[in-house]
Amino acid sequence: MSDNDSTQTTGVLGRLNPITMPLRYKLGLVGLVLLGALPMFIDSTMALTFAGAYFFGVYAMSWDVVSGYTGQISFGHGLFFGVGGYTSALLNLGHGFDPLLSIPVGVVMAALAGIIIGVPALRLKGPYLSLVTLVAPLILVQIFIYRSDIFNGEQGLSGVDPLFGLNTFGDEAMFYYVAFGLFVFVLAVLWIVTRTDAGPVFTAIREDEDAVEAVGLSPAKFKIMAFVLSAAIGGLAGAMIVHTPNGNASPTTLLSITVNVEVIIAAILGGMGTIVGAAIGGVALILLRDQLSAVDLVVPLFDTPISDMDFLVFTLITFVLLFALPGGIIRWATGIGGWLTQRVRGEDPEIAADGGTKTPPEQVYENYTEELREILGGDDDDEH
Amino acid sequence: MSTETDHGEETDAVAANGSVSPDDGLLVLDEIRKEFGGLVAVDDLSFAVEEQEILGFIGPNGAGKSTTFNCVVGRFPPTSGTVYYKGEDVTGTNAHTMVQKGLARTFQEFRPFEDRTVLKNVSLALTPNRMFSMQGLRGKTKEKAAEICKRVGLGDRMHMTPDELPHAGLLRLELGRALATKPDLLLVDEPFAGLSGPEVESISDLLLELRDEGLTLVVVDHNMRGLLSLIDRGIVIQFGSMIAEGDPEAIKNDPTVQEAYLGGDEL
Repeated sequence: MSDNDSTQTTGVLGRLNPITMPLRYKLGLVGLVLLGALPMFIDSTMALTFAGAYFFGVYAMSWDVVSGYTGQISFGHGLFFGVGGYTSALLNLGHGFDPLLSIPVGVVMAALAGIIIGVPALRLKGPYLSLVTLVAPLILVQIFIYRSDIFNGEQGLSGVDPLFGLNTFGDEAMFYYVAFGLFVFVLAVLWIVTRTDAGPVFTAIREDEDAVEAVGLSPAKFKIMAFVLSAAIGGLAGAMIVHTPNGNASPTTLLSITVNVEVIIAAILGGMGTIVGAAIGGVALILLRDQLSAVDLVVPLFDTPISDMDFLVFTLITFVLLFALPGGIIRWATGIGGWLTQRVRGEDPEIAADGGTKTPPEQVYENYTEELREILGGDDDDEH
Repeated sequence: MSTETDHGEETDAVAANGSVSPDDGLLVLDEIRKEFGGLVAVDDLSFAVEEQEILGFIGPNGAGKSTTFNCVVGRFPPTSGTVYYKGEDVTGTNAHTMVQKGLARTFQEFRPFEDRTVLKNVSLALTPNRMFSMQGLRGKTKEKAAEICKRVGLGDRMHMTPDELPHAGLLRLELGRALATKPDLLLVDEPFAGLSGPEVESISDLLLELRDEGLTLVVVDHNMRGLLSLIDRGIVIQFGSMIAEGDPEAIKNDPTVQEAYLGGDEL
């Protein structure tokens, strides 16, 4: 027993020891190694698809760290991707900045946008905040259209320099590694942030802000931190993607409602409030869409090929999964995994102890309904 | 601290002329007033909390106890009046800053973080209010949190989630989480509601022990059951004003208090 305790308390180094780490971490590491070797086995088109999937995984993680963890639901995370991407593209096109210089500027601008959205979040709760985040990217798109002379409207900016001077045709494997490197870097950063002291504070804000204040922690400070961190990472991904064949600085790639919503779907599917779940959800969503586009099946009643209806398909999958696995794929898998390992070791598997605790989507849903009731049904009490 | 009678005289004087000085005690309320629209919830209330005493803050439902409480802990600012803590004007200071200054509270409607274990609830209160902190990884926090769990009688239930705890267990968790912030003054909101006789006794013992270790306590309650044997001194308020003040025996025999309470059934 004391041995067991000491391995638990050896801290961060102990946790990173591959021999003693839990099975799921080992599986994760093996998965990352396999993905690192993947370009040797796939063609260049597939490599670019994967690169796009990694970028989307980063988008989903950036959403998860603020919305999944603190429960401050953003419906317009594209704002941050857009600010990062357009900043970098404009600096590169207009002023000839090297992408290695323009990308960090994009990150800083996105972080500033994070403050602009994060500060209202201190006063606005649930549904109100979501409206602000929903509208912000729409306004930005309108500005881009209004000043088409600078931003080239709906078309967006193209012809920016690729990262590291790579060739759009021929260097697909290198673009794969650029995206993969970003993916692993962001995964590591957010994993560390959420597994050290800030993570439990973020999730506590999702649970009960007053109680967070009552233990002497400032919810405002941690909310702003989550917004800025999330915005900076979203901006980094947005700024990098415009310098790859995966996207350009256009509303469709960075800012559309589809992007905003798909990011949320990806994070919820994978497992809201886990970072790893969002990463897997984001990657899986793009790969799934790629597979769907190859399906020729035409939906009879609508006379539309299923590949054009991918958004509808994702929405349906999300609804089904929200009912079946409200915690997302990752929580379900670790739950099953833990149960299986206990079975294999001959221990009596504990009956699922999570019966009483709510999953993050359920908690957020509850907060929302409560706040909506306050907005809409304030007079109900008097009528009874 | 001089004698008990000294106390009485001093605070009696306070009640009489309604003026207190910032250094009268650890926590001093000077003519605190809180209005909601036209309703006066707290009516120019003044009193002082002495260091290391257990003060009962008593009043019937709707007397303004919780409102006073909330003005002190920084949930909302008073309409007028001044709150002094350790001689310093802290009126309108926000809740988490008050906690950092050493004034902790418990919630009457318990508010544990339902998504985590008892131990992790307490650990959160040990987390520094800093953007980047790796303290939690060194395992020290966990040890300390476990110690606090044992202190409040949850040693064998640290790994349960709050929904597995009985009512008294949740109260202990509230106390543990508040203690983890290392308070000098602890405001306990209606601890005895819904507890059985023996449970009241064991919680009282715990609060007395904490006082002996140097903590100052203000216990808010609407009935006096269990409270009179615990407190050193009590303040009774009704309609936002103080109606009686003194040692438990004096309060119990006070005619105004009896009138305020005996209409109801709980004394």
